[in-house]
Amino acid sequence: MANLKEIKRKIKSVQNTQKTTRAMKLVSTAKLKRAEMAAKQSRVYAVKINEVLSEIAYKINQYKSEVIESRFFDKNETPSTVDIVFVTADKGLCGGFNIQTIKAVRKLLEEYAQKNIKVRLRGVGRKGIAFFNFQGVPLFATYAGVSSAPNYEKAQEIIKGAIDDFVQGTTDKVILVHNGYKNMISQELKITDIVPVEPPLDYSLDSTSLMELEPLDGGEEILNSLMQKYFEYNMYYALIDSLAAEHSARMQAMENATNNASDRVNMLTLAYNKARQESITTELIEIISGVESMK
Amino acid sequence: MDTLKLEIVTPIGQIFANDVKSVTLPGSEGEFGVLPHHASLVTLLQAGVIDIELKDGNHDVVAINWGHVKVDENSVTVLADGAISIGGSSESEIAKSLEDAKELIKSMSDSDIAIAIATSKIDSIVKTRKY
Repeated sequence: MANLKEIKRKIKSVQNTQKTTRAMKLVSTAKLKRAEMAAKQSRVYAVKINEVLSEIAYKINQYKSEVIESRFFDKNETPSTVDIVFVTADKGLCGGFNIQTIKAVRKLLEEYAQKNIKVRLRGVGRKGIAFFNFQGVPLFATYAGVSSAPNYEKAQEIIKGAIDDFVQGTTDKVILVHNGYKNMISQELKITDIVPVEPPLDYSLDSTSLMELEPLDGGEEILNSLMQKYFEYNMYYALIDSLAAEHSARMQAMENATNNASDRVNMLTLAYNKARQESITTELIEIISGVESMK
Repeated sequence: MDTLKLEIVTPIGQIFANDVKSVTLPGSEGEFGVLPHHASLVTLLQAGVIDIELKDGNHDVVAINWGHVKVDENSVTVLADGAISIGGSSESEIAKSLEDAKELIKSMSDSDIAIAIATSKIDSIVKTRKY
């Protein structure tokens, strides 16, 4: 009989877990919609900034008839120090979402270690920070609590340090690793070189357009501040993209968990019924054999 | 009547996209107005207000904290960091957006004069607006 009680308790417990996972799934679905919307809206900005940036780069090229000499565009084949900015979630329970990013970062770390390149890690999101702290990998900078509520100011703050170091020559390359949103059911790991970047030279532009630049210093000031915005925006986008991906991953993970819980309940119910039948049979046998022996 | 296509975008989304009569922008080298068939131009913007003259003659105001603008013959694209459109259907909504806008400019601009100019400008435009 104790066995029966035990199974009943287990069923109850699994059902409670199922309630939680189902609720989490619903919450993630709602949050995913919002995050997706935010990402979509901000795409407009990406398109525009790319447009303006390529026009300016093109314009400056025309002015000077030489390739823009900016550290931002200097493809450094042999970097000596690399900054890796990685974005993970602040919370768990989202399947392999965080682990995928962490794995990618570790792979990069190994690769650079082989080439004798110094790597500094800038971690965003509690999960990733906790992992590397546990592994004893030193993190150069950490930003917790940003992933779950990204905004532009925080993104600015994160990328500013990395870009400043790059401009000063402390680092030669900045890489951004995050797990991005692909669609409702899948995520896509994205590893992007923040700097140096390929100059976005789109020659499909009307080359005869007589565009004036102001202030009149050959557009460098505009280019520099635009580049700054470009980096900040990339960082911001990575954050919101990552948030959308996190929610989609969690949604899926919780869906699976709910289904698994259902399966488990079915299995346990079967076991319960079997145990019940068994105990009834045993009781019957006892009674019958008792009656038999009385004869 | 000639119109300009004005777009104001921020990383958070599009703030404004419509055909307008004219637009006045707070350029880094000074304020300038843009009418249709303006020469192509790219410039930086400083914290301030964008005064938009709509097709019906009414004015719309958008406060920005920083930005770039690209002017073409018949389109104007503003890329801003933060932008707040001043308006709303009720008095309280307008008052709230006004406060937000002033806050935004204050947070970016360090000179008192610039803040004073921007805030007085916002006030005067809002006052003359027809509802």
